[in-house]
Amino acid sequence: MSNSVLVVGGGIAGIQASLDLANRGTKVYLVEKTPSIGGRMAQLDKTFPTLDCSICILAPKMIECLRHPNITLLTYSEVKEVNGQAGDFTVKILQHPRYVDAEKCTGCGTCMEKCPVKAPNEFDMGLGNRKAVYMPFKQAVPLIATIDSEHCLYFTKGVCKVCQKVCPSNAINYEQKPEETVLNVSSIVLATGFDTFNPSSMKEYGYGRFKNVILSMEFERLICASGPTGGHLLRPSDGKEPKSIVFVQCVGSRSQRGEFPYCSSVCCVYATKESILVKDHMPETEVYIMYIDMRAIGKGFQEFVDKAKKQYDVRYVKAHPGGIAEDPATNRLQIYYEDIKTGEMKRLCTDMVVLCPALIPKEDNKKIAEATGLELDEYGFFKSKNQLTAPIDTNIPGIYICGYCQSPKDIPESVAQASGAAARAAETITCTTKEAKR
Amino acid sequence: MSENKQPRIGVFVCYCGVNIGAVINVPEVVEYAKTLPNVAHAEGNLYTCSSDGLSKIKEAIKKHNLTRVVVASCTPRTHETLFRGACEEAGLNKYLFHMANIREHSSWVHPKEPEKATEKAKELVRMAVAKAALLESQVEPEISVQPSALVIGGGVSGMTAALSLARQDFIVHLVEKEDELGGKLKELYKLYPSNRKSSEVLEEFVQAVHSNPKITVHTSSTVKNAEGFIGNFKVTIADHEGKEEKLDVGTIIVATGANVLKPSGMYGYGKRKKVITQLELENLIKENKLRKPKDVAMIQCVGAREEKEGGRNYCSRICCAVAIKNALEIKELFPDAEVSILYRDMQAYGKDFEEQYQKARENFIQFVRFDAEKPPEVIPKPGGKYRVIVHDVLINNTIELDADMVVLSTPLIQSEEAKELSRMLKVPLGTDGFFFEAHVKLRPVDFATDGIFVCGTAHSPKTISESIAQAYAAASRAGIPMALKQVRTEAITSIINEDLCTGCGTCIKICPYNAIQKDERGIARVNDVLCKGCGVCAASCPEKAITMRHFSDAQVLAEATAALGGN
Amino acid sequence: MSEFEPKIIGFLCNWCSYAGADLAGVSRIQYPSNIRVVRVMCSGRIDPIIPLEVFVKGADGVLVLGCHPADCHYIEGNLYEERKIKMLKKLLALTGLEPERLRLDWVSASEGQRFAQIVTEFTDQIKKLGPSPVSGEKPNQKILENLRAAKKAASDFRLRVLVGRERELTEKCNVYEEKISQEEFDSVLDEVVKNEFIRQKIHLLTQTQPLSVRALAEATGMKPAAVLKEIVNMRRRNMITVDSIEGTTPLFRALEVE
Repeated sequence: MSNSVLVVGGGIAGIQASLDLANRGTKVYLVEKTPSIGGRMAQLDKTFPTLDCSICILAPKMIECLRHPNITLLTYSEVKEVNGQAGDFTVKILQHPRYVDAEKCTGCGTCMEKCPVKAPNEFDMGLGNRKAVYMPFKQAVPLIATIDSEHCLYFTKGVCKVCQKVCPSNAINYEQKPEETVLNVSSIVLATGFDTFNPSSMKEYGYGRFKNVILSMEFERLICASGPTGGHLLRPSDGKEPKSIVFVQCVGSRSQRGEFPYCSSVCCVYATKESILVKDHMPETEVYIMYIDMRAIGKGFQEFVDKAKKQYDVRYVKAHPGGIAEDPATNRLQIYYEDIKTGEMKRLCTDMVVLCPALIPKEDNKKIAEATGLELDEYGFFKSKNQLTAPIDTNIPGIYICGYCQSPKDIPESVAQASGAAARAAETITCTTKEAKR
Repeated sequence: MSENKQPRIGVFVCYCGVNIGAVINVPEVVEYAKTLPNVAHAEGNLYTCSSDGLSKIKEAIKKHNLTRVVVASCTPRTHETLFRGACEEAGLNKYLFHMANIREHSSWVHPKEPEKATEKAKELVRMAVAKAALLESQVEPEISVQPSALVIGGGVSGMTAALSLARQDFIVHLVEKEDELGGKLKELYKLYPSNRKSSEVLEEFVQAVHSNPKITVHTSSTVKNAEGFIGNFKVTIADHEGKEEKLDVGTIIVATGANVLKPSGMYGYGKRKKVITQLELENLIKENKLRKPKDVAMIQCVGAREEKEGGRNYCSRICCAVAIKNALEIKELFPDAEVSILYRDMQAYGKDFEEQYQKARENFIQFVRFDAEKPPEVIPKPGGKYRVIVHDVLINNTIELDADMVVLSTPLIQSEEAKELSRMLKVPLGTDGFFFEAHVKLRPVDFATDGIFVCGTAHSPKTISESIAQAYAAASRAGIPMALKQVRTEAITSIINEDLCTGCGTCIKICPYNAIQKDERGIARVNDVLCKGCGVCAASCPEKAITMRHFSDAQVLAEATAALGGN
Repeated sequence: MSEFEPKIIGFLCNWCSYAGADLAGVSRIQYPSNIRVVRVMCSGRIDPIIPLEVFVKGADGVLVLGCHPADCHYIEGNLYEERKIKMLKKLLALTGLEPERLRLDWVSASEGQRFAQIVTEFTDQIKKLGPSPVSGEKPNQKILENLRAAKKAASDFRLRVLVGRERELTEKCNVYEEKISQEEFDSVLDEVVKNEFIRQKIHLLTQTQPLSVRALAEATGMKPAAVLKEIVNMRRRNMITVDSIEGTTPLFRALEVE
């Protein structure tokens, strides 16, 4: 029997569920695969429709998780095995070695400064570099360095060890081993979020071939003040400011070709937000959004889109491009599309293209499904017990799902569903405790 | 009490390894601190936040009888709680602690100017010491929380929230204005996307509610009056006959739902026969009163997404799905019927609706896209039929459709009772008419007023599934203070000097949390529990009658002017 | 001769601007070291008398930084602050201290760069303006007196009510359901600010010695008729009384105000 809850996934949904439970006196284990909690929200510049700075509203919650006496953070960790039933699950967690002593590390960053190895920074979508010993981003929680053994010279070639030499707290420990922890929990909340579809396979869009065709999450990192270009949106080809940008919706989504037939639900509004950010930074730049349906369905979203049109002169073009070509001399792009109004085939020339790709369930969901016996739906999302009346429940009593991993949704809905999962977990504790007493 | 005597301040200057120590001359700052008024002890620590450093603080408090502590290190935003905790453990009230930020605000930003950084650090310490001398112990008020909740609205959201709270072992009073529970579930036919009958779902929920001993259902009742604050709301409800009942609850959940707009004046609604809303269509189907239609035209966005000034701007989210659902239902009942959906954008979002959209197309439901600038026209023809003229933007041509029934997809709008409830509970409505939450992104079901929550379509248009998820969210949020049985509220609150207050009411209007009320004498009084400590009242009070605890004028000025020389 | 190093006091709100300053630190962004930051919970906490007192004590510049509009952690504290600072600048203009020495701006928690930029700009600006006339060994007594009068004016009931109600009156409406335009309000505010300041100035001057209307007119730079008008108002409010008559000229003396 247990009175604690395991939350898998340290994005905003996982954080919300954890805090709701911790704040009512329940012990929570928050497991996160990457070295820091924060998830996607930490990567965004501003959020719609309020244009709040994303990390600003997220960071205090992250710190709350760190400080909370009822929350144990298990970052750089994964769920390996799950046994038992509601009220009494036994879970094996594998903690990957950081090769840094978490008790000693103060987050001073000296190791990072001196490390000679550069590696692509996943947090910046590969657009910038980090070192082999790194912290994913400046406000990382916990603020502890991690050594990436795949790039570290010591692990790959047996040399260097500069970080150990310079660390003022003697926190580097190359001998660290993976650690297995066994937890006994009452229920499990899954909040594993989403990944971005990589549309390089869709040749017509030129992603991966044309320098100035980027993905929306890459755009977020470029426009974000804490990103690789300090918040300056510059064309990857020549480092100049784009005079025009086109956002293309539904790349790989709503596709009958079998990729991802569902609607990712947030792209219409985030493209609007990103367009407004472009206009904020560079008012002279022409911004277009090519869309099929403008799904501004949430609270305040339609007003947000209207604002983009009227106040910011963002141009909405109802069209789905047939293809994108590049002028190799200038790296400018040409988008071929059908003008709905006239039926003509047209060409829109632009300095930069931002593709809004399908947002897809994480590959790891399959592993979790195997470990737990959970059902996945046909797209790889965790399946609700009943899509209508029990969206948070699953086929396994005591295992709850929330956020994007359940189905496409925006931040306010993810937060609400996460609180909902916390309620279900709290109910489980109450009910199973009562049962046991009988 | 220690405050009556001369304060004895301990100053702890942190090296933070090399982060501060490499730029700032810490020993110099320590020596300087010793010269400041009221400083009884000063020392440097390598890592003040380490368990070693914290022990040193606790030891020093005891050894030197310190009555105030100043730590000069990093930012209070991350470490204040930690150091406050150490003070408390040593028996010192945690509000007798202050910090000087000499890392983020000095060593890290002036690395090439060590003398200036050191001078700045000294002044920041002097400022912190000056404020610390004026700090007073504070008590965090604790109030007990009734383990009972009031849920206003007995639709699917209200019932879900009530059931969740009951399962969390709380007492729930579920108040419903109609004779029976169910809300819109009673009117709907089949539910998206599973096509399950609404009546089945209704039955399931109502059974569960009635059979739960923790839930008391008050049908035919409405809220007449509400007073109090989190943990102790006193609500009066009355039934149709006027019989009143007083309830004492710890939290309140608003789940009053929404209504479907009846678009009088649009497309001849209200005047012409067979021009109906989607809900009315569902009613007809449900009661088997739908006579075999030949041609049905559905028009989306009627009275929604209006671009005109003062119009209803919002998208009602569910209407496209509802139209598709009902169109498929008609096709199933009457396979020969021609159904057209005239839309602006097809809001088939998420996982399941795209599938339904595909299914609709496969079932030969015609989709005609029009622009807001050129809405369709519905022209009555003899024989009770209609001609619908619409400019199809996908083929760039105007087409004419025959229809013997026109179904208007209208938005959900806030209920009339909401305005009254908003006033009674002092919770706001947004510009779109729906209840306005504390924070759009991170507190979607909380109101700014503690202890009151909202869910379902009272918050904004959404599907049943989404309402259920949100209702669980409200139950989680309401459950927190009730599970703790008491809430400890912030000590940094404002206090009004009754002798100076002249009852002008400025503070009452300005307070964003409705934390200030006039008492029987007309004097303003702060509710410590609701006050969030922003200090705007103190800065605005015309009589200077309001003091902000821990941030009084004297304290703020002491800190600010300690950096200056004269006058 | 060493370069003038201004003393700048910054009031930063806990949730946005202080966090932005922290981020500048975390990002190791450098900026001039002249600023001394005081943390408050909300920029709305900064009562106009606070910057005034800080100027009296010799600060060369005062920087108030809050959250961007619509981002205020306490919903609208920053918007109320905006109105207060606006009024304060009007008041400062009457004292002879350059209103540019006071700046209100918005910095979000993620704008470390912006914080550094604002501090750099402001420090440069203050360097150009030079030391505050009331700082140092020989403060300008007239301006100092004016600042003290301004502090009293900023403590005045009527002025504070007006500023406190500004948003309500211009954004919503008064009890008669009338909305007042910003221009109308501003002209009323200008009057009230001016009158209060003059009154407090007169009060301050006549505290040290009884003065005639002419003497007061010279000291304040106002026309004698205007001074007399204010004295009449002040007598009604029991702020001033006739001390003695010199020949046919009454001399006025300040009364202690409750």
